[in-house]
Amino acid sequence: MTRPYIPWLLVVVALALAAVYLFPLYWMYVTSFKSGSEIFANPPTFWPREIDLSIYPSVWTRRTMHVFLWNSTLIAAGVTAITVIFGTGCAYVLARYRNVWVDIGLFSVLMLQVLPASVMVTPLFVAFNQFGLLNYPRTAVVLAAAAKAMPFFVVLVRATFMTVPRELEEAALVDGNSRVGAFFSIVLPLARNGILVCAILTFMSSFGEYIYSKSIIQDPSLQPASVGLSGFLGPNSTDWNAIMAYSAIYVTPILAVFVLLQRRIVSGLTSGALK
Amino acid sequence: MRRFLASLRDGVGFDILLVGAAMVFLVAMAGLPLIYNVLMSFQQVDMFTLGSLIRPWAGFQNYIDVVREPAFWLVTKNTFIFVFFSMGGQFIIGFALALFFAQNFPGASTIRGLFLVSWVMPGLVVGAIWSWILAGDFGVLNTILKGLGIIQSNVFWKSDPAFSIWAVVIANIWLGLAFNMLLLSVGLAAIPRDLYEAAELDGANAFQRFWTITLPMMRSTIGAVLSLGLIGTLQQFDLFPAITEGGPANTSTVAQYWSWQMSFQLYDFAKGATISVMMLVLVLIASIIYVRSTRHEVRG
Repeated sequence: MTRPYIPWLLVVVALALAAVYLFPLYWMYVTSFKSGSEIFANPPTFWPREIDLSIYPSVWTRRTMHVFLWNSTLIAAGVTAITVIFGTGCAYVLARYRNVWVDIGLFSVLMLQVLPASVMVTPLFVAFNQFGLLNYPRTAVVLAAAAKAMPFFVVLVRATFMTVPRELEEAALVDGNSRVGAFFSIVLPLARNGILVCAILTFMSSFGEYIYSKSIIQDPSLQPASVGLSGFLGPNSTDWNAIMAYSAIYVTPILAVFVLLQRRIVSGLTSGALK
Repeated sequence: MRRFLASLRDGVGFDILLVGAAMVFLVAMAGLPLIYNVLMSFQQVDMFTLGSLIRPWAGFQNYIDVVREPAFWLVTKNTFIFVFFSMGGQFIIGFALALFFAQNFPGASTIRGLFLVSWVMPGLVVGAIWSWILAGDFGVLNTILKGLGIIQSNVFWKSDPAFSIWAVVIANIWLGLAFNMLLLSVGLAAIPRDLYEAAELDGANAFQRFWTITLPMMRSTIGAVLSLGLIGTLQQFDLFPAITEGGPANTSTVAQYWSWQMSFQLYDFAKGATISVMMLVLVLIASIIYVRSTRHEVRG
């Protein structure tokens, strides 16, 4: 009759596994709390001897982080707007019908989902150069990154639309609604939560977008935070507490949103990713 | 005209408008660049012809040049090491964790959800953190490994040619683990419980149940996870500039990073395009497996 004890043992093991897994995050914060000399202590201290937060304001001003973070926000907002506006309607139609055209549409969306950004960046750069879009580098990055983000969004949101009962929409049509009316007043409100979660996911992943921004945006005042980080990060970096403080400022908002919405994000991903 | 507008508002025109807008955007931003990429791989592209569409034809010269690059075979080997061991590590550890969290205990799904943190983090930040953990002199991984008695002296993960690719593999396993685990958990949850009960009554032990029920029932999930893993590792880029920058001496350069270096550090856009076309063949194989393994779910 040891049955009741086993779950608690499993909980302990689960927490230990999570702790091991999340150690890199812990290490990021702990390093950023250490002074410049303590990070090179040998052996490293697993808890700072003296908590020193002075690196945060100095990194913030020295690295002009407000400019970088503002650019990241702009780019992520643009990508999310384009993805939601174009992707939602596409996902709705792909969820509503089952015929050969929908199969072809889904197939092409899936194929576009697998294209690596590193493959796309060369032709996009040359093409943008020809169209003069490189003079508006943030717009160019938004367009490129939106095309990268949209297929995944469509696949996830399509799964959300699948859960909206067809009958509700048909009832609205019988009651005299037009297709447009039924879409905006019945289907969209019912799928709102799922769309919102996917939009947040899109925002978070484009907040960390790197390769397009690095290749397309040359002007430091227009670059996002990821490119700003790469500016003082390399195989021979040494000012690790500054790098970790920069990283902490960069990811803490994302982590906060993730922890708040964890349950919804996980269920949104599980429903969409494999269906 | 009025019939057209009416169909747009209340008919099949509405559907076509919704799909069409997205498709036009995707074709313009992904489909056409893809074709353009293939075209460029057969052209002479340099700083003088960069602005024009019609360039001198190069035939297969770009491909011959790429294969003759001294780094070509090294990069090919690195790409296979990176893809194979990243996928293997992510899949095996992810599967083990998924099996563990499929046990029934309080808080299982919440604790499992914590693992997904890595998935929302910017790749460059993950690279920065791992670059610090893997640092040779003051890195914490060396301290831990020495404390456990696994290594005697410091391993210079990032600057030792024998280890540089493994530094990126380790970081990538950490990064992709959570997504593998999540997808495999979904697959595990879909297996009917009574199959296990019936097998247990028939006297099958845990290993036999895993081998004869879990694995066969998960076949399509495993196919999807492995092909998504292949796609994901081929898409992984951010870790390279953050951890090793492909060095030392290209020992940690993989195809996707090499292609970018050609285009944006050496400004040899033709070679960059050529390498990415070669990589595309690999991606296409992966995506065909992926689409095949999800096909019945997609139609269902």
